[in-house]
Amino acid sequence: MNKILKLSFSLKNTYRVNSILYSLKQIPLIKKFLPDTLYQERGLKIFANVLSVLGEVVSIFLGKLLYLLLMVYGAGKLYDGSGDTQIFLHILLFLTLIGGLANTKMFDPSRDKYYAMILMRMDAREYTLVNYTYAVMKVILGFLPFTILFGRAAGLPLWLCIALPFSIAGCKMSVAALSLWDYERRGSVYNENKLTKYVWIGLGALLGGAYALPAFGISFPVKMTICLMLLFLPMGGAGVCKIYSFRKYREINQELLSRQTNQMNTIAQTTKAGVEKKISADISITSNRKGFEYLNELFIKRHRKILWSSTEKIAYVCTAIVIGTLLLLYLKPEAKPAANYLVKNCLPYFTFIMYAINRGTGFTQALFMNCDHSLLTYSFYKEPGCILKLFQIRLREIMKINAVPALIIGGGLALVLNVSGGAVRWLDYGVLVISVLSMSLFFSVHYLVIYYLLQPYNAGTEIKSGMYRVVMSVTYFCCFCMMKLRMPVMVFGSMMIAFCVIYCMIACVLVYRLAPKTFRLRR
Amino acid sequence: MDSIRKILYGILYEGETAVKFVIEHLSKHFEKKEVLKDIDFVFEEGKIYGLLGRNGAGKTTLFNCINRDIRSDGGNLFLETEEGRRELRAEDIGYVLSTPTVPEFLTGREFLKFFIDINEKSVRNPKALDEYFDYMSIAPEDRDKLLKDYSHGMKNKMQMLVNMIAEPNILLLDEPLTSLDVVVAEEMKSLLRSLKQGRITIFSTHLMDLALDLCDEIVLLNRGELEVVEKSSLDSHGFRDKIIAALKEEGYE
Repeated sequence: MNKILKLSFSLKNTYRVNSILYSLKQIPLIKKFLPDTLYQERGLKIFANVLSVLGEVVSIFLGKLLYLLLMVYGAGKLYDGSGDTQIFLHILLFLTLIGGLANTKMFDPSRDKYYAMILMRMDAREYTLVNYTYAVMKVILGFLPFTILFGRAAGLPLWLCIALPFSIAGCKMSVAALSLWDYERRGSVYNENKLTKYVWIGLGALLGGAYALPAFGISFPVKMTICLMLLFLPMGGAGVCKIYSFRKYREINQELLSRQTNQMNTIAQTTKAGVEKKISADISITSNRKGFEYLNELFIKRHRKILWSSTEKIAYVCTAIVIGTLLLLYLKPEAKPAANYLVKNCLPYFTFIMYAINRGTGFTQALFMNCDHSLLTYSFYKEPGCILKLFQIRLREIMKINAVPALIIGGGLALVLNVSGGAVRWLDYGVLVISVLSMSLFFSVHYLVIYYLLQPYNAGTEIKSGMYRVVMSVTYFCCFCMMKLRMPVMVFGSMMIAFCVIYCMIACVLVYRLAPKTFRLRR
Repeated sequence: MDSIRKILYGILYEGETAVKFVIEHLSKHFEKKEVLKDIDFVFEEGKIYGLLGRNGAGKTTLFNCINRDIRSDGGNLFLETEEGRRELRAEDIGYVLSTPTVPEFLTGREFLKFFIDINEKSVRNPKALDEYFDYMSIAPEDRDKLLKDYSHGMKNKMQMLVNMIAEPNILLLDEPLTSLDVVVAEEMKSLLRSLKQGRITIFSTHLMDLALDLCDEIVLLNRGELEVVEKSSLDSHGFRDKIIAALKEEGYE
């Protein structure tokens, strides 16, 4: 037992330490200073070990703290009526049941289990028991300080606060024992990552019980909840007996882990397969064009689902919002001044909205995964003339895709402005529409240009460019900051239009100059 | 087979001087490891070169440098033709990877049509698409399937086909036959033999038998350098021993 404990810990720790070192090697700038032999550097290993242990400690306590603070205690404070104690216990009871079902600590097909039991052929029963015991101890230890803290604050007696972590663990153990018993009876394994429809419905009902019932003023009486919570103690005890006497852990785990057929696939492979699935299987799709236009048309048609269909959905939603707003202004004329002020001053906010709805990421990802990834290995595809020709076509396409919602949003804003009291100048309407359109133009150009200039993917379809990540984060951050900005339509709109025009010109010149060199597969 | 090849590609004109592919001072390192050390080598037209090397010797790196997928640290790549010496261009190279890559969203027929459209000017004697498929023994019912649903062997055939039509001066093949079934592998072998005239074929492999069977010259990538193994008067057994001995010398680094 002791040896298994040591082994499984050192395995898990090695796995974590190496993951930490691997992630360090992915950070731009820092990676330059790290040697290739980083997995054997003593100093780095100690550093990663410290992080790993810290991570473990944090994982014991932090999650439980946040859980009790936000989901139980904090959420309970939102309801008034039945008193803190009653609500606290009510929510805790329901959430404990959900946790018992969805977070069993035993039926989670994780990678370290695969390594230990399948690859390294460790004794499944001992491995499971040791790790399960440790996980349950973590639950008890992690909850104890916070059930005392929040339980006392909610007015529970100290003995109950101390008993609660054991009840929570008891609930988990009874579910585990029941599932083991069920396996012996029916032969089906409970997999907490692939819950059945019925379990999902059950979980939904429990969630409703936790938060919806109190909203209607219904919550279980304190005494009843306490009894139910304490009932988990003997049930857990009985569960322990089952868990320790059960013999077929090898079988269970083999089934659990083999179902994860892509267990050893990397994230990149999974993403690639996911994007590949988006290709329409409709063979009736054809094209009468030639050359790159032919390639492009087939690409767009076969990726309708992720390109045009989603932009159409966005367009419908935007139309509905515009109509809704107009209706609201018609029914409640007193809202007009506020709406008028908002449209006149909150144009910067729409930078973020345009950022959020633009299809650039999906487009470039599909372009790479389903098209460029393979074609870039052919020399004809890398000739400067071809790269630029295709860039033009693609820019045209993504501009079209993004322009539809932009026109609706721009037009809608102009309408709302008009209905809510009108603009200062007629020119404002024009600026409004054109600036929203130019935002969409900007994002179209931006994503495609960055894709061509930084070509972030490698042959294994992983994102390898740190610079790409940085640019994407900066883009997000800038758009996010725009939300805070308040500026009149005229000022912001004309600045935006000027910026977009200049940006697009510079970006396209850069692509024409550099893309023939930068647009290639990373190795 | 040979007659079809002539129709497809035209014939090497008499009196034409043989094309040579010259590598000069090519070097590449990753961090502290020197993978290619100042390589000088001349490949000649009409031959299949078998590139052998231990795992991790740098065969794929060499191909990637030639194909300019990765930047080399230094060195020059030339093509010597009857018009003189010139820098290697992208269109001189055809590169068939061990894991075939084809655009998943196109059908086999569409990919071929697209390829021929793009290379309209350089493809001599374009044929009807079905003739190409027949030539590669790709069944009629598979021709209009999406490439993502092709088997490994069929993807490989498509990649090979496209590279054949382009008629590159240099054909790089990175372990192309290792994961094909025996029938397809045999088809590909005879295809490569029929294609070798008029171009330089460089073929990397781990399989000694394949290399001895198919290749005219055996080149070792050893300690970052290229060297030809002279067959001279050795019988095939002796030749094999010589290659293994040369590769073993490397030991662990």
